Amino acid sequence: MALFMDLNVSFSEDKTVLKNIIETAAHLGYSTVAINYTLEFHHKKQEIPKPRPVLDLFEKLPVVQGKSKSITVLNRLTVVATDPSHFRPTAEYKAFDLVAVIPKTEKLFQAACMNFDVNIICVAMSEKLGFFIKRAPVNVAIERGVFFEISYTPAIRDSTLRRYTISNALSLTEICKGKNVIVSSGAEKAIELRGPYDIANLGIVFGLSTEDAKDAVSTNCRSVCLHGKTRSTAFGIIHTMKKSQPANKTEEEDEEEEEEGGPPRKIIKLEK
Amino acid sequence: MRRADATEEPAAFERRVYRNAAAHHYMKIGLVLESGERNIGAVQFKQLIVSAVRDLYGEVGGAFNFDVLCYDESALTAVLRVYNSGLVKLWSALTLLGSYKNKLCAVRVMQVSPFLLALSGNSRELDLD
Amino acid sequence: MRAELTSVREVQLPEREISLRHPRVPTLFQLQGKEGGRVFLSVFLSFCLSFCPCLSCVVCSSPQVSVLIPECAVLPATVAGLMDSFGPYYRVRDLPVYKLLEENFLENVLKRGNFYALSYKTRIDEDNTVAFLPTGQLILSVDKDTYERLGLEGKPSQYNHRQVMRYVVTVDVTEKSMAPGSKRYQRVLASLTERVPMKCDFLFSRHKNAAAAAEDGALKALLSQFKYDTHKPILKTHTLKDMLHPSLKSSDLRGDGPLFSPHHFLEWLGAVNLDITCSDPVDSFLSIYNCPEPHTPMSQGMLCTLTGLLLPEDLHSLLQELRNYFDEPKFSSWLAMTVHGFVDSPVAWGTTEHGFLKGGENFYTIVVLNNQDYWLHMATGSHDGCPP
Repeated sequence: MALFMDLNVSFSEDKTVLKNIIETAAHLGYSTVAINYTLEFHHKKQEIPKPRPVLDLFEKLPVVQGKSKSITVLNRLTVVATDPSHFRPTAEYKAFDLVAVIPKTEKLFQAACMNFDVNIICVAMSEKLGFFIKRAPVNVAIERGVFFEISYTPAIRDSTLRRYTISNALSLTEICKGKNVIVSSGAEKAIELRGPYDIANLGIVFGLSTEDAKDAVSTNCRSVCLHGKTRSTAFGIIHTMKKSQPANKTEEEDEEEEEEGGPPRKIIKLEK
Repeated sequence: MRRADATEEPAAFERRVYRNAAAHHYMKIGLVLESGERNIGAVQFKQLIVSAVRDLYGEVGGAFNFDVLCYDESALTAVLRVYNSGLVKLWSALTLLGSYKNKLCAVRVMQVSPFLLALSGNSRELDLD
Repeated sequence: MRAELTSVREVQLPEREISLRHPRVPTLFQLQGKEGGRVFLSVFLSFCLSFCPCLSCVVCSSPQVSVLIPECAVLPATVAGLMDSFGPYYRVRDLPVYKLLEENFLENVLKRGNFYALSYKTRIDEDNTVAFLPTGQLILSVDKDTYERLGLEGKPSQYNHRQVMRYVVTVDVTEKSMAPGSKRYQRVLASLTERVPMKCDFLFSRHKNAAAAAEDGALKALLSQFKYDTHKPILKTHTLKDMLHPSLKSSDLRGDGPLFSPHHFLEWLGAVNLDITCSDPVDSFLSIYNCPEPHTPMSQGMLCTLTGLLLPEDLHSLLQELRNYFDEPKFSSWLAMTVHGFVDSPVAWGTTEHGFLKGGENFYTIVVLNNQDYWLHMATGSHDGCPP
């Protein structure tokens, strides 16, 4: 019941590829896409990538099919964490609209659920999940308004990866009961993208209900974007900006977002 | 309720409700090939989908019947008919279909409906530009 | 969807309770006119009229109507003439919604009850959608963010899932409290100008009975301020050759109906519309689709479709004209008219709320038999109200 979004399309140095992906996404009916920059630690001092301005790609953003609005492009950073030291929320992180983490071990998964300042926790889809997903940390994450991501492109590429994707997705949806799940592409090529209604159907195969599956590409993604905005605020309540822009509105939105992420208990806490 | 009243009116008309009673779903799909290849016959097309279903669901899960009601070879579009129970399977198999003869491809599902008639009058296709 | 289907089986309801307000699953409603006769059909239409503000019973306006006349080579001149006379409609770009409520327009156009408006290129499951019905209701189906900023009273949509993400605000311009200058009027105007300056593309149409000069003037004045283009409904005719068609007799309607189910009949009609031929009985690999039994061959048939923003009044007169087709003896025993509603309309079947899950189909097919019996099918998707 909200705009369709694909919060994970891979960044590519090749401008035509990236441009093609965004155009195809708009054509398929996605109103928002997030370009994903992956941060992997191969050696100690890995440099954090800087998001490129979208206007380098397009003079005018493509219009979403069937609408008169053009597509919104966000930037997202995904940290592949094999060690707790890998995730360090620094100022560089703030340049991104969304921050995601791929925890490789059970400990890191727990830590990500409990206290990492992230918007999205990706469950690795291209390999066998080395651990059981436990209910307690997942519930904490849901309460904090953090979302879990399933990417579907590995399932398109190869039948082994497809097996991993489906089994990992099923073990995730089993635990979180269809709440706080988003499904995104992770596409590296335009032809790997699929339409939003197709993904809503695919969600059923991943163990979501029909409506939860549709939420996973729309409503939940909207919550993720709002949650992303709160990272630059203090507790999602106060937001300072250099210029005094329509301040009132931003505050309201942020507050409201906090409520959305978690169940009612959270709201009470806030009101205190 | 109105309906109940209506049936009680002097033998004028009869109303029947078929709730979720359609046996089939219909899908309007198009195949996109990265290579831009166009020469796929109807039989090959169906074979491609059958094997996609079998790849994903195996022999037992993939053993449901579906029909290619019409197929346009020049545009690579088709209308499929499938039993309700097979819809999710067929649709997801089409979604996850990624290659044809080792070349990348994608199936774009344009419309899905339990009524074939609805496929002929989709207002989302009303283009005034 | 499998899950959805099983859950439905569990809640199978007895006949009477099926008249729940919302089917939640694709549903087909069938009405069989048993008594026949011209008088009766108009009774039926007025029956619908009394419950639906939007005249002939369906969707406030439709993007397409298709008429199938078996055993007919050319479209009857009267029908063709009527279709040609269907009024034009306008597509207005980037129109702020409050413009509709400005005093001149409100008094001279909206309150006359001939005006239809529907936002164009907005999707009911994603965007804010606006419709204006000739009964005087302005319906805004808006997302949560817009609703909270709008500050107007509305109801949560019936098709929300876990969270309420969509609200429906209805403003009745015929109410006294909405008179220009009144408090409520000011409030609505302020909401739509200052709080949320909502803008979208619109389709406008106006029924042209006794065209009042003031009405025309006000509409032209509004249109002239924006970029707009005028469209005529597009007519396409197609002659069908040598095919099977289900034989339908009026006596079929008296008992349990014809041997084939309405779903089969509609499937066949859909197949004809999409130019699908019955499959080859020898090679059944591709498809095993077949024309419902009993069927008879027909040498030719006429299929015409009219696409554009069509008004219920026009469709009503088209139906009247089609019924006159059987005034003279004809080879075929029936003809069918199908009217599709907009899938992204915020209302359907009068004023019931309409939504979009995997498809927003809402259409009706009326089969007129040569003795003026009729068979009406109304089909809805999962997110749709019950037709009247």
